[in-house]
Amino acid sequence: MVLMDTLVTITIVTDSADRAEKAMDKAFAEIGKLDTLLNFFSEKSELSMVNKNAGLSEVKVSPETMEVVEKAIETSEKTGGAFDVTIGPEISQWNFVLKIKPQDESIKRRLRLVNYKLIQLDKGRSTVHLKEKGMLMDLGGIAKGYAADKAVDELKKIGITSGLVAVAGEVKAFGRKPGGKGWTVGIRNPRSTEKSDEIMATVQLNDAAISTSGDYQRYFILDGKRFHHILDPETGYPAQGCQSVSVIARDGVYTDAFSTGVFVLGPKKGIELLQSMGFEGLIVDKDGTIYTTPGLKGKIEFTTNH
Amino acid sequence: MSLRQTISSTTLGDRILLVFLLLASFAGIVFIKDVLPSSGGVSIEVQGKTTHRYLLNQNRTVRVESPYGHLTVEIRERKVRVINASCQNKLCEHQGWVTRGVIICLPARISVSVGGPEKSGDKRIDATTG
Repeated sequence: MVLMDTLVTITIVTDSADRAEKAMDKAFAEIGKLDTLLNFFSEKSELSMVNKNAGLSEVKVSPETMEVVEKAIETSEKTGGAFDVTIGPEISQWNFVLKIKPQDESIKRRLRLVNYKLIQLDKGRSTVHLKEKGMLMDLGGIAKGYAADKAVDELKKIGITSGLVAVAGEVKAFGRKPGGKGWTVGIRNPRSTEKSDEIMATVQLNDAAISTSGDYQRYFILDGKRFHHILDPETGYPAQGCQSVSVIARDGVYTDAFSTGVFVLGPKKGIELLQSMGFEGLIVDKDGTIYTTPGLKGKIEFTTNH
Repeated sequence: MSLRQTISSTTLGDRILLVFLLLASFAGIVFIKDVLPSSGGVSIEVQGKTTHRYLLNQNRTVRVESPYGHLTVEIRERKVRVINASCQNKLCEHQGWVTRGVIICLPARISVSVGGPEKSGDKRIDATTG
């Protein structure tokens, strides 16, 4: 996970330029702080310390790291393991830029290390322990959404009542725009032909977050087959049921994690899970068929020019 | 530690972070400017529809009515304020002079944007996911 490898934008509405500047600084600093804790590639991050000590010892972590890992495990439980941050040993042997697909045997061999039940948390002492040597946690499927939540918290603390934070595609909006309207977020078309940023639909957000997981974000085509970065923790191979999954809920930490989990579950089970959680969502399945939760009616508008 | 030593002791991650922070700060400035244009006009919306548009540098006083109430908007010396609002709480009056931002009168469903109207209303996309 490279939290900072991505563009973070913060939009706020206030009548005070001083307050706007102060709030922006605080929110960006918060995201920066989370990056130093949760960055998969930084040697010094708390996440790296936990990973280095897999199978060896427990590692004391900050309340933030603890919270992200807790929410990750919670999402794993709710998705029946379809979302699993211990996917690290598998995802780290793929390279979507250099088009490297691991050997089938290697994928199979590492599967036993992918199991969120092998993460041991001690909340009292604030420690995290990965029980098996070779385990790797990758919080890339949850940390950006969490960062958007925390940045919004910082803005609210300063007294900002309306704004929007986008950490890559994890978007969290609160309050209303000038004129009293909600925030409009475009959902990317997973198979756009001309422009890479073609929008297939827009949704209105009021005090809610939205995240999207897609098979077009990091992928390569090999022998006519698409290999993308959302791996099924059960098989170690890219999940096959969907092209794109967008989830809307109050918290970015959940929209981020559940968009990945639902992608792995596929459209039918995915919509059921979203409804049972009280979340909203839009799924484009592998054939391009669009499914939405009933609650999305009236809040979503499909663009006509695609 | 000399500057050279400091630079050579940074990791790739540190450098990515630095570049990012610079970009992020710049993006912040751009967005503040986008949300809060420093000059331009005054646009008044009744129930979400723009009904009046004026330049900020021309003094005037205008009465605005909606089905839910009325208020008077005063534009003077590049500042805007609301006077004589029909509602009871008079929150919009208490906001006083505004040089940029928005005054919203919820009971009357009237909003006064100072520093330029919104770009093309509903169709504008604030962010993209995916």
